[in-house]
Amino acid sequence: MKIDLGPVTRIEGHLNVRTTVENGVVTDAQCMSEMFRGFEVFLQGRDPLDAQQITQRICGVCPYAHAIASSYAQEKAYKLNVPPNGRILHNLIQGANHLYDYLLHFYQLSALDFVDVTAILSYTGRDADLLKVKQWVKAELDRNKPFPAAPFLPRLEGKYLADRDLNIGALKHYLEAMELQKKANRAAAIFGGKFPHSTGIFPGGCTQEARIDLIVAYQSLLSEVRQFIHDKYIPDVTAVAMAFPEYWRIGASKGGFLSFGLLPLTPALDSKRLLAPGVLFDGQVSPVDLAKISQDVKYSKYSSPSRLPVRDSALTPAPHKEGAYSWAKAPRYAGKVVEVGPAARILIDYQQGHNPMVRDLVNKFAALAGITTANLNSVLGRHLARAINAAVIADFLLAETERLEHGGPTMANLAVPQSGEGYGITEASRGALLHYLRMENQKIAKYECVVPTTWNASPRDDQGQPGAMESALIGTRVENAEEQIESVRIVHSFDPCIACAVH
Amino acid sequence: MLDRRNFLKMAAALSAAFGVQGMPAPVAAALKKLDPGAVPKLIYLQGLSCTGCSISLLQAESPSPLAMITDYSQLAFHADLSAISGKKALDLIERYISGNAGEYFLAVEGAIPEKIPEACLIGHKTFAQYLEEAAKTMTGAVAVGACACDGGIPAAEGNLTGAIGLKEFYGKRGIKKLIVNIRGCSVHPDWVWHTIIHLVKVGVPELVNDAPKLFYSRKVHELCPRYHDFQQEIFAKKLGDKGCLFKLGCLGPDTYADCPTRWWNGGRTWCIDSNAPCIGCASPTFARKKNIPFYRINEKPVTNG
Repeated sequence: MKIDLGPVTRIEGHLNVRTTVENGVVTDAQCMSEMFRGFEVFLQGRDPLDAQQITQRICGVCPYAHAIASSYAQEKAYKLNVPPNGRILHNLIQGANHLYDYLLHFYQLSALDFVDVTAILSYTGRDADLLKVKQWVKAELDRNKPFPAAPFLPRLEGKYLADRDLNIGALKHYLEAMELQKKANRAAAIFGGKFPHSTGIFPGGCTQEARIDLIVAYQSLLSEVRQFIHDKYIPDVTAVAMAFPEYWRIGASKGGFLSFGLLPLTPALDSKRLLAPGVLFDGQVSPVDLAKISQDVKYSKYSSPSRLPVRDSALTPAPHKEGAYSWAKAPRYAGKVVEVGPAARILIDYQQGHNPMVRDLVNKFAALAGITTANLNSVLGRHLARAINAAVIADFLLAETERLEHGGPTMANLAVPQSGEGYGITEASRGALLHYLRMENQKIAKYECVVPTTWNASPRDDQGQPGAMESALIGTRVENAEEQIESVRIVHSFDPCIACAVH
Repeated sequence: MLDRRNFLKMAAALSAAFGVQGMPAPVAAALKKLDPGAVPKLIYLQGLSCTGCSISLLQAESPSPLAMITDYSQLAFHADLSAISGKKALDLIERYISGNAGEYFLAVEGAIPEKIPEACLIGHKTFAQYLEEAAKTMTGAVAVGACACDGGIPAAEGNLTGAIGLKEFYGKRGIKKLIVNIRGCSVHPDWVWHTIIHLVKVGVPELVNDAPKLFYSRKVHELCPRYHDFQQEIFAKKLGDKGCLFKLGCLGPDTYADCPTRWWNGGRTWCIDSNAPCIGCASPTFARKKNIPFYRINEKPVTNG
């Protein structure tokens, strides 16, 4: 039986997942990205300094990650010397964007997979926000209208959290997270100019000053976000994990892991990063070799050649191509499937014994939940990995603010040569992000983006290997084949972004 | 000193004294929730978009995003927030679009791929098909952001999809419907939410170029706190400098928007306050031409004869 799960909601963009279900088990899954714009084509011939602006519009959820990746690529192409403040401000902007994204993902995008919204009707406390929501839901249900309490109802059938207090606590935090994500973004915008779509990020730094009043405002907002991460977010992830322990074993992807490393510790892009880069296969981490990345298109809606390395990439749309089922390409590392994202970042860093806070948090939660690091490759593993990322990043950002030199330069001297090329690699919240730029006559001759969800939601490659998310879905047991809340929970754990995946 | 028990008693008495019954009528009116029957139902659909406008809408301050989607409108469907997905989600959209779920406003984020309609699908239909069908049943539409208004970034020169905005899409099909354009890449949350408040409380706001005059009647340059620097010819020479950013390529003189007085992210900041030139994201021609870059940093000096 073939069942389409699309449109998958509470993600970014246009995703369908075509599943085949036999005897209550998903035996096949195709991730179909259903939106195409063609950024790499219309970037050609533009001024290279337009790139960090244009590429932010690939994704309005993680625009800062694109601005940073583009800035890194341009810094390499222009051979810029970046002042310490410039790199720190890049980190402060990008890091705060990660924090908002984790909160948004857990509460606004994922919580309704587990939390029972209708529990609000039995609320007897005095919290004004919850009472307001209770009255609203009640009024909606009492009125004879189609689809009452939308967008929170209707919902998929399934087992939700049973404990009333846990549900109500999570709903309260859903409301609070709406406020907290704004604070993380406001902090980032202090130096980025605005959110979404920063105008202040440039190759070599940013245009805002490193002024003490701005630094302290950033610290103040970030401290509130950090507090919420520790007091609410991490306990809520833990509570969901305790209530749904089977999800430590559901949704494992079947390939390796890749991370480009997040937040450089010095102005040099090749310096150590807060979270270490690497590629992980069979328990072994190796250094990343960008030359090993190529993109297959046998099942993607392009007629351009397959298996091209990044710097030779091509893009000719063919919407009616025989056998093609997605606008996303299929990137592979040395021909192999990898998962990218929060779990990849944590596993790769942990495996190398790099960041002590990562090590301690992983060990602590593994002991608490009775799991091993292998279980991080699962629905709950991805949620927990995000929370660990959040805790580590928040502390690092606060420490970074103290390293800013008040009044020191925040921008490199920008001089754009006639020609050059550069790769910019970083981690968006959703995983490994690569921008490649080649210039001729001070114009963009080639631009290529290989984006986290391109990896995770990729269709099959030329060898027929399913992408990471497809492989995580195949083999899943589902109660209700028509709705498959189990499959939707797996998809949500990857936090797919289709605008990123296809661009 | 007041002990805890007496304090609580007093607090209870005080809060009773300020209950709704004892209030002057206008106060009660201001606090009263709108009649849910009178607020528009919104079906929010995305085309060639990045979701940046939706994310911006979540950055609203007063009213809060939650109040906007429960009290001042009824958000029947939004792909980023709706609990339901799959076939049931399509059924919900279908019931509205077919005119079987009452009146509704369409909110559109993203451009329409006129040359490759298959470049944007929702379920098993193209985005364009939904828009054509909705035109027959909707009360009107709010085009949210640069892409929905004028094509935005997907319509940049050299694009392959033939991306266009909602007004042009309907215009080509001879469809005449109320369309309110809210330009910006992304939109400021106030521009959209306050337009909806206008629609709910006092009707369609006054429009200029299909956009609410309230937000788009003056140019960024006219309202800019650095206009004085411009007049005094105090110009920023390189990125990060203070002064008027015109010589770095600032597009404030070509862009209608109230960013200089409204500010962004809860009033904390905006582009020019962070020394970043305006890139004209609220202009109908935003990012359109390759030979008009955002910055004049790589510009070759013009030689006269």
